[in-house]
Amino acid sequence: MMKRAPWYLVVGAVAGFAGVLALHSRATPAPSALGAAGKNEQPSPPVPPARSSTGPAPGGSPSGRPSQPAGAGDGTHSATGALERYGYGELAVRVTVSRNRITDVTVPALQTADPTSRQISDQAIPVLRLEVLAADSASINGVSGATFTSEAYATSVQAALDKLHLR
Amino acid sequence: MSAPAVRSGQALPVGRRRRRRAPARPRAPLPRPAVARIALLVAGAGLGATTALTFTAETAGQLRAPGGLATFAGSLTGMIGTYLALMMVLLISRIPLIERMLGQDGLVRWHRRLAPWPISLLVAHAVFTTVGAAQAARNGLGRQVGVMLTQFPDVLIATIGLAIMCLIGVISLRAIRSRLSREAWWLVHLYLYLALALSFAHVIVLGPSFVGHPLTRAVWSLVWAATAGLVLVYRFGLPVARSLRHRLVVTEVRPEGPGVVSVICAGRHLDKLPVDGGQFMFWRFLTPGKWWQAHPFSLSALPRPPYMRLTVKAVGAYSASLAHLRPGTRVMVEGPYGAFTRNAQVRPRALLVAAGIGVTALRSLLEDLPRNCAPVILLRASRRADLVLGQEVFELVRGRGGRLHALVGDREQARIDERSLRQLVPDLEHRDVFVCGPEGFVAGFVDLVKRLGVPDEAIHHEAFAL
Repeated sequence: MMKRAPWYLVVGAVAGFAGVLALHSRATPAPSALGAAGKNEQPSPPVPPARSSTGPAPGGSPSGRPSQPAGAGDGTHSATGALERYGYGELAVRVTVSRNRITDVTVPALQTADPTSRQISDQAIPVLRLEVLAADSASINGVSGATFTSEAYATSVQAALDKLHLR
Repeated sequence: MSAPAVRSGQALPVGRRRRRRAPARPRAPLPRPAVARIALLVAGAGLGATTALTFTAETAGQLRAPGGLATFAGSLTGMIGTYLALMMVLLISRIPLIERMLGQDGLVRWHRRLAPWPISLLVAHAVFTTVGAAQAARNGLGRQVGVMLTQFPDVLIATIGLAIMCLIGVISLRAIRSRLSREAWWLVHLYLYLALALSFAHVIVLGPSFVGHPLTRAVWSLVWAATAGLVLVYRFGLPVARSLRHRLVVTEVRPEGPGVVSVICAGRHLDKLPVDGGQFMFWRFLTPGKWWQAHPFSLSALPRPPYMRLTVKAVGAYSASLAHLRPGTRVMVEGPYGAFTRNAQVRPRALLVAAGIGVTALRSLLEDLPRNCAPVILLRASRRADLVLGQEVFELVRGRGGRLHALVGDREQARIDERSLRQLVPDLEHRDVFVCGPEGFVAGFVDLVKRLGVPDEAIHHEAFAL
């Protein structure tokens, strides 16, 4: 029994590893489909309780004014993409579109696990905003050094655009 | 893990003996081999799952980002290190299943073998994570350390926890351990629970595998809470309940030889205490100087209700002070523990070997072995006066038709080597070998009988770490 103990441990470890990966791969389609689904019609997703580093992100609405209400008369529409989780935090992006052009992008919800992640996101988000405005789409290069923030940002932008039935 | 093997050893006259014995004494329950296998599988699965969680929390983009690689290495070492720390706690939680599977001796060996890993992995975790965060935030390393300690939630107390762990690792190094009293070393060891508790929060709040994964978070918390519960029940609750039930009191302290005394305790319901010969208990004598420490000593005889007995050799200040115990002193006990029992037997005959004070466990084991095991006993002592309990062992051997060899003298005079052992025990390969004594002696003797062809499953040993 004692001699075979390592084998039992190894078999268990392989099974545990494979089991978690299997569960994970079955669960993953959800987040990637999230952008396309866009079921959440609430203007801003609720921010889960945070231990630190919550608050509106820089970039976008400089005076902190609320973004324009969806469906304002002059063909200007806003929608908020789904809350995107990435390794160090989560964010949601609000996109304003006027006459089929993206005119503003804000981040109403940003939460990070720790101050360093916050710092990185704070540096990246203004750049990402400019990239989206320039590209007029969610197809952006992203900011190197903030890859996961960039990916979450782009995904959330696409989700918002889907809600607005654009592209 | 020889204990479970007894179930398949149908040749053993176990049943016959039980019937002959008038009042059936309760025995410590044996784990089934299947349970032991499942426990091992679960332990392995936990390790695999923990590792996999680290991978699933990671994306290629995160890995490529500055500091991504170091951060990932930090998560991986942190998760595995924490899981191994959990296993260490379970190993010494005195869960009966684990006690019976490994025995004290096996527990100590596994504990020592495993212990350096969680500590070094967690140190690596701290280093990798700091480097990764510094690279990501484009900070200097020194500045990053400050940022992490002051601004990251729960990292400061986790760092204190890690420092405690490192301290315990350092004092457990052989060179330093030998200069500390057992009590001091043990007290510092208790702080490990504090260290683990301190580090728990930062795992849940910052760990990439847990942030945004409520299910993982819940399972992880549950596993830790369950472990804490097991520790409380088996290290605290059960011993207290047993002590209250049996109400042991010292009735006599009897000298047995130079520096050796037997402490005889009386208690209630000792016929209900599940104990096997060869086991030991942690004894806590409630006197002003001793109440805070519990020490392991073998039972030197099976309980004879209302009495039970331990025999102690003065090797340190504590064991020496037991000679001055007053009758009437109340005693709390933890245990009995140990797999050095008749359950380990896989053959009908037995060779029992003890060096020095190891005779205590041998004495109670011999009393408990089937009467027809034709025992051969080797007692090793440097002086004739040190052969304590010799007379008792002799009477037991005589009643069982066995032989007793006393090997007295220094190592050269009373050598046990392949030739002399063959002469003393010609049928060695048909016997179980039970060895008990100081670590060096036990290791040497186990090597010797292995060289003579005794297979692992027939070798059972209990070493005293002094």
